[in-house]
Amino acid sequence: MLYFSELENKKVVTTDGIIIGRLDDLIFLLSGKPRLTKLVVHTQTGTLIISTESLQKFNKVVRISKYFVQTDLEENELYVKRNLMDKQIIDISGNKIVRANDVILQEQINLDSSSYECFVSGVDIGPLGILRRLRIENLVLKTLRLVGISIVSQFLSWGDIQPLDLMRGSITVRKEEAKLQNMRPEDLADHLEKTNEQNIKRFLNLLDNEFAVKVISSLNLNYQRDLFRTWKPEKSVAILEKMESDTAVDILLSLSKKRRMELVHIMDPAHKQAILNLLSLTKTPIGGRLSSEFFTASPTETVRSVTKRMRHETGEFVFLATVYVVNQKKQLIGVFNPHELILQDEDTPVYKFMTQNIVSAQLKTPLEVVVKKILKYRLPGIPVLDNNKQIVGIITFDGIADLIESQFNK
Amino acid sequence: MKMPKFIKRVFLLLAIMGPGLVTAFADNDAGGVATYSVAASKFGYQILITLIPITLVLFITQEIGVRIALASGKGLADLIRERYGVFISLIIFILVFIVNFGVVLQDISGLKSALQLFGLNYNIYLPLLLGLLFIFLVKSTYKKTERLFFLLILFYLSYFFSAILVKPDWGFIAKSIVIPQGKMSFNFIYTSVAVLGTTVTAWGQFVIASSIKDKRLTASDMKVEQFEVFAASIISNVFTMFMMVAVAATIFHNGLHIGDAAEAAVAIKPLAGDMAGILFGIGLLVAGFLGCAIVPLSTAYAFSELFGYEGSLNQGLQKSKFFYGFFVFQIVLAAIFVMQPKFSLFSFTLYADFLNSVILPVIFIFLYRFANNKDIMGKYKNTRMQNFILITCGVIISCAVVLGLLGGALHLK
Repeated sequence: MLYFSELENKKVVTTDGIIIGRLDDLIFLLSGKPRLTKLVVHTQTGTLIISTESLQKFNKVVRISKYFVQTDLEENELYVKRNLMDKQIIDISGNKIVRANDVILQEQINLDSSSYECFVSGVDIGPLGILRRLRIENLVLKTLRLVGISIVSQFLSWGDIQPLDLMRGSITVRKEEAKLQNMRPEDLADHLEKTNEQNIKRFLNLLDNEFAVKVISSLNLNYQRDLFRTWKPEKSVAILEKMESDTAVDILLSLSKKRRMELVHIMDPAHKQAILNLLSLTKTPIGGRLSSEFFTASPTETVRSVTKRMRHETGEFVFLATVYVVNQKKQLIGVFNPHELILQDEDTPVYKFMTQNIVSAQLKTPLEVVVKKILKYRLPGIPVLDNNKQIVGIITFDGIADLIESQFNK
Repeated sequence: MKMPKFIKRVFLLLAIMGPGLVTAFADNDAGGVATYSVAASKFGYQILITLIPITLVLFITQEIGVRIALASGKGLADLIRERYGVFISLIIFILVFIVNFGVVLQDISGLKSALQLFGLNYNIYLPLLLGLLFIFLVKSTYKKTERLFFLLILFYLSYFFSAILVKPDWGFIAKSIVIPQGKMSFNFIYTSVAVLGTTVTAWGQFVIASSIKDKRLTASDMKVEQFEVFAASIISNVFTMFMMVAVAATIFHNGLHIGDAAEAAVAIKPLAGDMAGILFGIGLLVAGFLGCAIVPLSTAYAFSELFGYEGSLNQGLQKSKFFYGFFVFQIVLAAIFVMQPKFSLFSFTLYADFLNSVILPVIFIFLYRFANNKDIMGKYKNTRMQNFILITCGVIISCAVVLGLLGGALHLK
């Protein structure tokens, strides 16, 4: 196992002993098993990119064949230093964002062909990585061992990570898609919200269309609006057409009127009609029918605790058919009904049985659409969310019963 | 009913407002109040001439910070780590930690003297206040914390009432803000520089960028956020003016001398009535408290971003251990220092000022380089004009802090 920090700045020497320069960076092919393909060497006259076919061994020096081959960067290649080191990375298994303190390389020597290959095997995300970069790893380790403390390395293997900054737009790798496709679209959306618009776009390009649409639907409205503002109209429309028409209307409503009409105009006729119908309904505000009487739980709360709180806190409620699960940012992440609750063991945490498929509305959603949703999904009520996915209130079936009644009596 | 465009804009501003306003007001923390008070007690209304320049410099520097944060979606420390690696990150962190620690010391000791003003035992109330603050920050999200800060900012109104009560000559004040009054002297220049130095800070840059990230604002909020920073620079310095006026009209007018803000509050009482002094004291209490909340936060943000730990006000204690850890560490350490009966702030202030003078130009270099990097900024890259203004401000502030430091050293004897 090699660390990039230990290779950086090593002398690059040919087999006949000529010093070429110092190792600046490594280039690898972005794939499921990312192989090192090139060395970037700083020489006195400039920078050379040398193919790893000429590489003999990483040792005290970087030894390369005296007939080394110079090449250029190809598609789907990334730099270890420029694209990985110090960058933010999604830890897919741990579901959080970390920073790459060092990059770990794995050597592989094929005895029969005597070829030497090297792969990026993962990243170091722990404090040891930082200490190693500062060249004080051993010193600190030894000192700590004296007082009986040992620090454990924290590695993430390549299969578990995804660089958050894919700086070059040209990267399109099938393997990477599969990795991300294993994440829940909601989680991925949550991570993407922590980065900027450019990155979100790059990521979405990596995903297959259907999954990308799911991720976009899960982003909060601020980000959706930003994306649709900058995408070409044709692209925007292609995505909007794949979305649930209700979500599409919410996004359209967040855009300027001019942009909105431009997009609707170029939609295919069937979608266009549906969307126009929904848009024509937007004059009716739903604010008046919003109820603030709803009950929330946290995903880690146990059934016992939820039941107890319901007993104490909901005595005054006129209506309670759904419990809303919100995260620490108060964003809605799941729902369950009291029936589902009483079927569970007392110690089960809420996230184990909550439904993550949430039907919701925005404040701008027309009332008619809300009614249609409630009827379509046979819901007792639906939550109304703000641009940050926080609940501002709920609309209950009771609250709209009069509308249905008036339709019925016609 | 159709909402008029104006009202719509106001609502948009209210939703996005926060990072700019909070940071600008935090610049008027206990250390700031002390500097303004002492300056006004020495030079009276003459010092008001500094107000417009410091407002401009504050606006220009904060605007760049905001633009970088919105365009990149990253905090300032994030960018430093990604572009300059571990070694530079470590140096920056050590500097930020020490400088901020100095500021926290100032704020806690401001808080201590404010408590003493109201006859409260600081051995009880200081730990109590700080403990409550910590629990609140852990338990609440960014949004709630911001609301607490807004509430604290409201209390700055006490300076306004204090300034009214001392019955100053408003016509002359208006004149003094625009037209230089009195004689120039080295002492005056040095004091003006100190006023500037306490307003534009390194930690302000970290806080504003990270809180924009925590609030999850995006590039589409650019215009509103720029406007907020603009408005916030003006509003916060209007309050600076009230502080200066309250002191100038009383203490300077009667030829008295004070060493810090608490002494100012005491001295105002016999000259303009108890109420004016009490209000000034309340202002100091709030300023100290706001500083104690925000300055350690900037260290905590910088640490998490530089070394890749999760850190956000939106997360609980478990997930952001190091983030809150650094917050507590600074506060507790500073509180222990300050609660020593014989504690003297003066030498600490001097070393904090010195390090501030080291780090501020460095931060400006980072800002300059990030703001001119197309990878980071995209279409929000600095224009040539913006570069010119930034460099000018950077040079002015760098000279200012160095000059201020020299002045401070000369005054030592």
